[in-house]
Amino acid sequence: MTQGPPPAAISPAVAEAAIGERRRTFRAEHIKTLFSRYKILALLVAIALLWALFAHATDGDFLTARNLSNLLRQMAITGMLACGMVFVIIAGEIDLSVGSLLGLLGGISAILDVQFHLPLALNIAIVVLAGGLVGAFNGYWVAWLRVPSFIVTLAGLLAFRGILLGITGGVTIAPVSRPLVAVAQSYLPTVAGWILAALVFATLATTQMMSRRKRAAFNLAVPPLWADLARLAVYAIGIFGFFAILDAYRGVPLPVLVVIVLLGVLTVMARRTVFGRRIYAIGGNIEATRLSGVNVQMVKLLVFVLMGVMAALAGISTTARLAAGSPSAGSLQELDAIASCIIGGTSMRGGAGTVFGALTGALIMATLDNGMSMLGVDTYWQMIVKGGILLLAVWLDVATTSRR
Amino acid sequence: MTSPYLLEMRGITKDFAGVVALGGIDLRVREGECVGLCGENGAGKSTMMKVLSGVHPYGSWGGEILWRGEPLRAASVRDTEAVGIVIIHQELMLVPQLSVAENIFLGREPHNAAGLIDFDRMYIESARLLAELRMGHIDPTQPVSRYGGGQQQLIEIARALSKDAKLLILDEPTSSLTSTETATLLRLVHDLKARGTACVYISHKLEEIEEIADTVTVIRDGRFVGEAPMGELTRADIIRLMVGRDMSNLFPREAHEIGDTILQAVGITCLDPDNPARRRVDDVSFSVRRGEILGIAGLVGSGRTELVSAIFGAWPGSHSGEILLDGRPVRIRTPRDAVRLGICMVPEDRKHHGIVPGLAVGYNISLSVLGDLTRGGLIDEARELSDIDAAISRLRIKTASPLLPIANLSGGNQQKAVISKMLGPNPRILILDEPTRGVDVGAKYEIYKLIFALVREGLSIIMVSSELPEVLGISDRVLVIGEGRLRGDFVNDETLTQERIMAAAINAQPISELSAVSHS
Repeated sequence: MTQGPPPAAISPAVAEAAIGERRRTFRAEHIKTLFSRYKILALLVAIALLWALFAHATDGDFLTARNLSNLLRQMAITGMLACGMVFVIIAGEIDLSVGSLLGLLGGISAILDVQFHLPLALNIAIVVLAGGLVGAFNGYWVAWLRVPSFIVTLAGLLAFRGILLGITGGVTIAPVSRPLVAVAQSYLPTVAGWILAALVFATLATTQMMSRRKRAAFNLAVPPLWADLARLAVYAIGIFGFFAILDAYRGVPLPVLVVIVLLGVLTVMARRTVFGRRIYAIGGNIEATRLSGVNVQMVKLLVFVLMGVMAALAGISTTARLAAGSPSAGSLQELDAIASCIIGGTSMRGGAGTVFGALTGALIMATLDNGMSMLGVDTYWQMIVKGGILLLAVWLDVATTSRR
Repeated sequence: MTSPYLLEMRGITKDFAGVVALGGIDLRVREGECVGLCGENGAGKSTMMKVLSGVHPYGSWGGEILWRGEPLRAASVRDTEAVGIVIIHQELMLVPQLSVAENIFLGREPHNAAGLIDFDRMYIESARLLAELRMGHIDPTQPVSRYGGGQQQLIEIARALSKDAKLLILDEPTSSLTSTETATLLRLVHDLKARGTACVYISHKLEEIEEIADTVTVIRDGRFVGEAPMGELTRADIIRLMVGRDMSNLFPREAHEIGDTILQAVGITCLDPDNPARRRVDDVSFSVRRGEILGIAGLVGSGRTELVSAIFGAWPGSHSGEILLDGRPVRIRTPRDAVRLGICMVPEDRKHHGIVPGLAVGYNISLSVLGDLTRGGLIDEARELSDIDAAISRLRIKTASPLLPIANLSGGNQQKAVISKMLGPNPRILILDEPTRGVDVGAKYEIYKLIFALVREGLSIIMVSSELPEVLGISDRVLVIGEGRLRGDFVNDETLTQERIMAAAINAQPISELSAVSHS
């Protein structure tokens, strides 16, 4: 075996040019890696910048406790839908019917309340059940009858709205009872808010410390203690700040509380349950998952059931907020929900995304709505800006993830 | 200054986010020469070719590439194709719905004065090109999907040549070809050499390298090991250089006990999902015994994969026939049914059917058993991680962390992870469809060792393989499938040779004549 001759000398000028070019490429790559790793952080920075901008433009009115509380209440309904939508998209599907479904279920809730005077608990139970059933219907068409979800839910977008118009006769159902209105318009007492904040923080802190121990036990890389402590400090500031602002106005609005609970429950579901793991697996490679002995059709169906339940919660909240069942409720809400997920880093290709990201996306959308309304920006401009932001967010995502 | 070389790559370095993939590799190709590039999976061959073909643009790697003595600084594949470097990838890059001619001219369609595609010219030129390459039997007007994987590979080469390639890079071109198709391909490369086209031939199959290469360059772990004329090297030399150790015995046969019949498949017939008139598998019956390694040989497309898919409940078309487990008929309609009955399968197409690329190595492994790892509705993380750890160390999967996405691993390690996943449910019968495809020599050896360890524990193995030495080196018994039918059922003793298997696979002899030599 002959060893190859040593490489001939490269001229210094060429070498220097090459090194310079490599450095530039590396620097670009480095920024890309950083960005994609801390995508959520980038989103939070984006929110901070938006808030600063709006605060400046409204002479501080935007940042009042009252307005922020309002903003979160506005965000809650899109947030509920986004909580379901994120799993639909992770599973590699889409649901265009949720806006109409929200309207239909909200309408049913109003009818049950106004015409049948059902107690609130029964009303909610029936509507949630109905949402789950409609979700199962969508899921059955997608998973077993193999009609693409885009088509199935496009059909639902038309049909559910049609049913709503049929059962309401196209008129607003009002006035709804006081308990139902309270669902959207009551607040958690201040003390309860603080207790909740403490609980949330304690849970996060314990989980993090337990995860450290677990990682160490299985020889996985453990982040330095100071990093974890710093992270906890950030959490503490975030959580207590959040509750402090809400308590400064009237307390945590009930729909916001629902979204916080959903965030916690669904995050655990995504990370720690078999169902959650399988949703990611199916989105990543459905064939490989099926050949591993997983009933992939059932997982898909259940994802749509979850989406239906979220549409039910959003529908009830909408009816309560409007204090009426409106035949046009929820129009185009599916697009806000999808946009929230995508802005929040959910991959359209499936297999990746988080509930926290989707809710962050929803917060960005709500911030734009609220801020621009305060500034008296015309609705048409609001729509143009939101469209532009969606495009920009996805472009940033595509540009910073490697091609393969 | 004129260089004796068409291409010179000097001290090429490349890293991905700090992980060194290439640590200074040289490669030189003379005009009209065929260089065999050898190395284990993960040695850096594919990365090297991506650097050369411009997939990794100039500036993202170190070192220097000289083309005819001049520095080549390609920003994209377009630039390298412009000078005549054409790469043929491991995975086929054809559009199946388009015609052969449309594929050949994809991106460079000839058009007439009105700006419309000139189909006549495209068909005529394609036909001429195919005839020149002795591929006259391929009809340029037919969709590519009409032709099998082997023919498609040849079409891809025709496409490369239509681009006026000076240097052709073939990356594992025969990994899905039958031996006849491989022979055709090698003859084609010979013809090209005669016409002055240089090539870099990457393959795990050393007999092909021996046949085709003039010079051999060996790399290992991202480093240049050396180069030499083919004549100065034996196959054993190359293997030693590739793995850095002696590999005298490729097949570590171990004695194991074979018990009673566990699985019987009776009259399995599979219809083509797109064309139900076509029988992909036609009335095949066989049985497997406890602790037995049953090899299934046959040409690619003969129905082997279809047969095992049907048994695993994964065949998309309709199928019939009976499966008996311990003598009792069982119904397997989905892979889930099969897994529950103790039958697992490692599929042929690892990328599309084996791995979930974005998911961690560990989570890929635990995917098949997640349901058993819960406590109070939640996944018991501690148990999951310890099971994953055990699996990783048992199969010696090389990964920086169990939580790394599996897409970052080499083919051999991905394959070991997929095998691990399918061992999770503790199957009694494990079907391995092409278990060593695209897997390097070292990992192959470990997979063979594992197969023997498993049969010693009493598992039965059904192994589909296109590599006859592997079938002969591993199996206790060999089924031969040809054109969807059972063409032979041989005990693997000294009398069974590659020639006999090939003869059975190709000849349309009635099964009755073969049953004289078959195993009862």
